[in-house]
Amino acid sequence: MPGSDALLQVDGVTVRFGGTTAVDDVRLALQPGAITGLIGPNGAGKTTLFNVITGMQRPTAGQVVFDGTDITRRGPAARAHLGIARTFQRLELFLSLTVRDNVRVAGDIMKARRRGSFDVDGETDRLLELTGLTAIADREVSDIPTGRARVVEVARALMTHPRLLLLDEPASGQTEQETEEFADMLRGLAESGLGICLVEHDLPLVMGLCSTIHVLDQGRVISSGTPDEVRASPEVVAAYIGAEATS
Amino acid sequence: MDQFVVTTVLGLVLGAVYAIAASGLVLTYTTSGIFNFAHGAQAMLAAFLYWQFTVPWGLPTVVALLLVVGVIGPLIGMGLYQVLMKGLRDVDEVTKVIVTVSVLLGMVQLSIWVWEPAQPRKIELLGGNTNGIHVLDTLLRYGEILIVVAAVALAVGLRMLFTRTRLGVAMRGAVDDPDLLRLNGYNPQRVALTSWALGAALAAFAGVVVTPVIGGSIDAGTLTLLIIDAFAAAMFGRLRSIPRTFVGAMVLGLAATYMTKYAPTQYDWVSNLRGALPSIVLFIVLLVLPQDRLRGTSQQRSRERPRVPSVRQALVWAVVFVGLVFLLGKIANPVMIGPWVNAMAFAIVALSLVPLTGYAGEINLVPLSFSAVGIMVAFHLGIDGIGVDSRLSWVGILAGVAATAVVGGLVALPALRLRGLYLALATLSFGGVMYTLVLREINVRHWFGLDIALFPNARLIVPRPKIGPLDLDEDTTYLLALAVVFAVLGVLVVVLRNSGYGRRLVAMRDSPAATAMLGQRLVLLKLGVFMFSAAIAGLGGVLLASAQGSVSGDDFVITLSLVLVMLTVVGGVSYVSGALFGGVMVGVVLTSLAGTSGNLATTNPDLAPTFAFMAHLGGLAIALTGLGVRTNPTGVIHAISSAYRPLANARPVLYGGVVAEVVLVALDLTEVIGDWSFALLTLLVIFTLPAFAARLMPEAVLTAHEIEERERAKADTVERKGLAAPLTADERIELDAALGLSMGERTHAGV
Repeated sequence: MPGSDALLQVDGVTVRFGGTTAVDDVRLALQPGAITGLIGPNGAGKTTLFNVITGMQRPTAGQVVFDGTDITRRGPAARAHLGIARTFQRLELFLSLTVRDNVRVAGDIMKARRRGSFDVDGETDRLLELTGLTAIADREVSDIPTGRARVVEVARALMTHPRLLLLDEPASGQTEQETEEFADMLRGLAESGLGICLVEHDLPLVMGLCSTIHVLDQGRVISSGTPDEVRASPEVVAAYIGAEATS
Repeated sequence: MDQFVVTTVLGLVLGAVYAIAASGLVLTYTTSGIFNFAHGAQAMLAAFLYWQFTVPWGLPTVVALLLVVGVIGPLIGMGLYQVLMKGLRDVDEVTKVIVTVSVLLGMVQLSIWVWEPAQPRKIELLGGNTNGIHVLDTLLRYGEILIVVAAVALAVGLRMLFTRTRLGVAMRGAVDDPDLLRLNGYNPQRVALTSWALGAALAAFAGVVVTPVIGGSIDAGTLTLLIIDAFAAAMFGRLRSIPRTFVGAMVLGLAATYMTKYAPTQYDWVSNLRGALPSIVLFIVLLVLPQDRLRGTSQQRSRERPRVPSVRQALVWAVVFVGLVFLLGKIANPVMIGPWVNAMAFAIVALSLVPLTGYAGEINLVPLSFSAVGIMVAFHLGIDGIGVDSRLSWVGILAGVAATAVVGGLVALPALRLRGLYLALATLSFGGVMYTLVLREINVRHWFGLDIALFPNARLIVPRPKIGPLDLDEDTTYLLALAVVFAVLGVLVVVLRNSGYGRRLVAMRDSPAATAMLGQRLVLLKLGVFMFSAAIAGLGGVLLASAQGSVSGDDFVITLSLVLVMLTVVGGVSYVSGALFGGVMVGVVLTSLAGTSGNLATTNPDLAPTFAFMAHLGGLAIALTGLGVRTNPTGVIHAISSAYRPLANARPVLYGGVVAEVVLVALDLTEVIGDWSFALLTLLVIFTLPAFAARLMPEAVLTAHEIEERERAKADTVERKGLAAPLTADERIELDAALGLSMGERTHAGV
């Protein structure tokens, strides 16, 4: 069962679209300073679960509790203020803006909310440096390759100074070397106390990064545990890894 | 009691008409994702065609009905979809709206051209105006029964189609997931085409029956705005559900009929209120609709994006612009100043769209209706002095601007939680309320302890402003003052775009989901920019009224607003210069188009039909310019500036152009050439500059890619052989060698 020190608790969340159940009574917890993996075949409900956590989708049943507060009925902006940030599987960049302005605008939003006490430009430079985007900072974001674009989304999310970062397939489209640098960056972020939840199809990446992994299939959590436990779980082999192994 | 039953039946008949119109709208919207603003205009054309067939040509009712509803209507619908709407699935909302608005305006122009509006035209109800059965001593006409039966059958039929048949389910999926639809063996394009044909037939049917039901003669304006009644009904079902749309239509029909029957007749505003009823109902429905779920956007990464000028560039342009207008005031014939004064005021109104639509991607279809608010307040609060000595005070202007901002916020608020289209619809409804209700408040009433007429005598006389010692009564001075106001506001808008606020607006337009997830409350941001935009429209309106000297209700007809919005988007709604384009087109080009052809016709009576033809053709052409945003959503200004941008590298050519222009100004001032020659020669110089540059200094203005293309065209590379002239035998051998083909294979391949 989720511990009381959890940063975020998803408690019995169910989402139904008409007749289909996309997420079915899911319970899980995300810890601060830890990287948690969320894997499963396409259509397993991973992105829908992200949408529930971030407030883009109201659950049919269940609760989302962040740092002891029930946030199930709060909007996305309010959750962002509490410290939840995300990236999108289907990129949601600000296509009219440069890479720098994509990151900077997140700071503009922070600054407007905090009435001025926020060094937008300084923070932007720091995050561009951290994510390795400085060299392409002044290019139009519509012109850069997908792998880099995903990193822009991460930098933008970090600008809100989140306590929990949800990453939806951040490595797809990245080269092998980019993925390695990316993994190092995530480790660093987690060490500084950020809770990270990672949806990813790149299994070696997930196995190497995450301390806990939840496996979703058809909306249900079919297995949870350390990478080794999950790898050994017969349900997972049947539902997910088995399918990959035969192909 | 009998009275009540009769009234109810009449209400149901009116509701049935609304239901038919609204179902067509819902049908096309659900299957193609395009909200057809021209739906009412299609009904209007159908009504005129039906009149043409039955009255002047004397065709039997059934034949005319079949032709209009069964043949011409569906053909128009299919034509619209096939030619214009097909490629619009993934474009932004502004483009979709402007394309159908352009179709609406084109159809209105066409109807004015073919059917001279002054002539009254009446059509009979199907089955005759007097035939029917008597129920409770009241004649229930066959046509009315037919309408109700048709509406019920339609609602049931469409409901069955959507829920029980494979085609119907496919139709509902056509917007949400065209790929899935294709996998299931349906062609989403064909599904949408079918629904546009059906939707257009329903519009045509509604058009044919609505005029006899409401009474009166066919009126292009009224019928075109049937769209407001239709979408008010459709809003009950969130533009998707047929049964709820049907209920909504009946509510509207009954409410309108009961109001006419039972509202106290001593109030003269009741009939106006009835006209505004659908708009009012729409606002109530908007208030109770649940909030939209945030969805991801389907992003197109390759589209051309508008350029963002720096504040410095904006300042330079502002100074140049004011200088040019100053010169214009010096050079132009005093008669010509009037239209330019109007143009500048219209441009300020159009500027309200730049932050709202250009940056934030939200749509206000009726900026001039907001202007009217500002004008009324300024009129009541800000006129000092009497008669020719009266002047508009700065207090009046400020009050007008503030009031417009507040009204703007109130109008937008119910729609802000919802998708962009709903805001566009809410503004259109507001335009309807203003035109049919508020601007007809011409009598003195007792409001909250004040005796006041909102729009006294149907005409507001608004004098020129006087700010402190600065009297702007004289035309040339006023023109310059407007230019300064436009330039200052233009710079302000650019400053805004370059600020954090501007970035947030653009971010919201590009991806509402991501913006919300970064902590931005979207409603606050939209509310702020809408109020700012309304304030500019209010200021522009006050200055416009003051430019014209007086305004009447007809200066705020919805179609004029639509023309201004459309032309601003055609110019480029993300650019301050796009607003200038829209203002000049409306203030100078449209006005002089009508005026000039009228004058020419008076001086050359023999050629009057030709001039009338030219004017109509010109009007139609301008109405249809909105179709251009399909291929060029960033606008004309963007395209032009792209063509002139390279000139910065060809300084000598640029200087040559400036010298030529100085010579022209000198020639005009010394009256060697006239104003018209000056204007034409100026245009010639401007238009030919890029061509001169490309010829004289190709290395400076052409991109490396273009130069390479040119070189390749010159050099006879293997790939290009045979394009300009047939291949020779030697060339064939060379080609075959390059392609690795032996002679034998070539002979096999034949020819």
